[in-house]
Amino acid sequence: MLMVVLLLACSAAAAKGKDTTPRYKTAEAKHFTQAEGVELSPVFGDYFYAELREELKKAKLAGEVIGEGETVDDTDAPQSIVITGTITEYKKGSVVKSTLIGFGAGMRSLKMDADVLRRSDNQHLGVVHIHVKIDPRWNEKTMAKFAAHQIVKDMKEALKAQAK
Amino acid sequence: MTSSVRFTVSLFLATFFLLFRASAAGQDPKPKPENTISVHLGDPVPAQKFANPPKFWISEVIDRSGNPQPMLVLKERGGIFLDRQPTVIVREALEESLRAANLLATDANSADLVLKIYVFQFGLAQGSQLDFFGKVEFTVMVKNPKSRESQEVKAAGTSIAKGAVLKKNIQKNVQDDVEESLRDAVRNFLRGQQLKDAAGALRKSMDAAPAATPNP
Repeated sequence: MLMVVLLLACSAAAAKGKDTTPRYKTAEAKHFTQAEGVELSPVFGDYFYAELREELKKAKLAGEVIGEGETVDDTDAPQSIVITGTITEYKKGSVVKSTLIGFGAGMRSLKMDADVLRRSDNQHLGVVHIHVKIDPRWNEKTMAKFAAHQIVKDMKEALKAQAK
Repeated sequence: MTSSVRFTVSLFLATFFLLFRASAAGQDPKPKPENTISVHLGDPVPAQKFANPPKFWISEVIDRSGNPQPMLVLKERGGIFLDRQPTVIVREALEESLRAANLLATDANSADLVLKIYVFQFGLAQGSQLDFFGKVEFTVMVKNPKSRESQEVKAAGTSIAKGAVLKKNIQKNVQDDVEESLRDAVRNFLRGQQLKDAAGALRKSMDAAPAATPNP
């Protein structure tokens, strides 16, 4: 009986600890630019932007995830972040190589750099570099999904490290 | 003997099934009450605060999507249709939010700024096969009726909803997705820096115009 009570108390304390308020008031994700030579469809940019916003909402990094170009109150600006980025490299991959060789050969790959800036003074709060590899048979929207998830995960860690 | 009868029956059934599928695939889905969704904004979107709040009036909403069936949201699984034209839904959503913020003029004559809206996309866009990608995109020509000057403001809203297998769940997820993207687009317009700049510049030009005219 005592053990059950102790376990319940511990789980309640853990749940209370997890229920933290977001560090930032607002987060604004911008459409990522494409470096020269990157050949991705224009739809990819929109889909990735939507996925990034969904991931930011899920991560609860900010109280509100606002759309591109929306206004923020001056009082909230120091606690608000803006996420910009560039797609630096995209390789289409090869189904033949992937099937015949395997072991990661012929994978479709995407490299991105993302910057997290403070809205009030444009100060860099973190830089994230990601490299996503997927099977060449999967479409580029699936790649956008993985990339958005990875960016937000790395960004959360980078901001946590910067705060320490 | 029995096996040959069995084979003939299965062949006949397979041919019949394939023919039925082919004829069903060739037909365009038709709007029915059970495959029609009603998209509404829900609560009005809070607008941004203007230093000198103008009164807006929506003069026209024009469909520029180039879609021959603007009310058809999803073609697969018997189709999903909207109950009203996208232009009507967008007008209603904007008017509701402007009215709630006390920014809607009572008529065109009393308006400080007149809005002409061009809807470029409303509904689902091409997403991954795992989910639904909702997208609403429109451009607004903000015009000062007195000075006749105008400025363009763009707004876009996106939303991603998870996919589903059952028809009922697909319909619910698509409706939620389109409503969320509409809300996002209206919010993007009403709280956007572009609208703030356009309203400021158009009203400033009107204030400056009488001062610039020389006294007789």
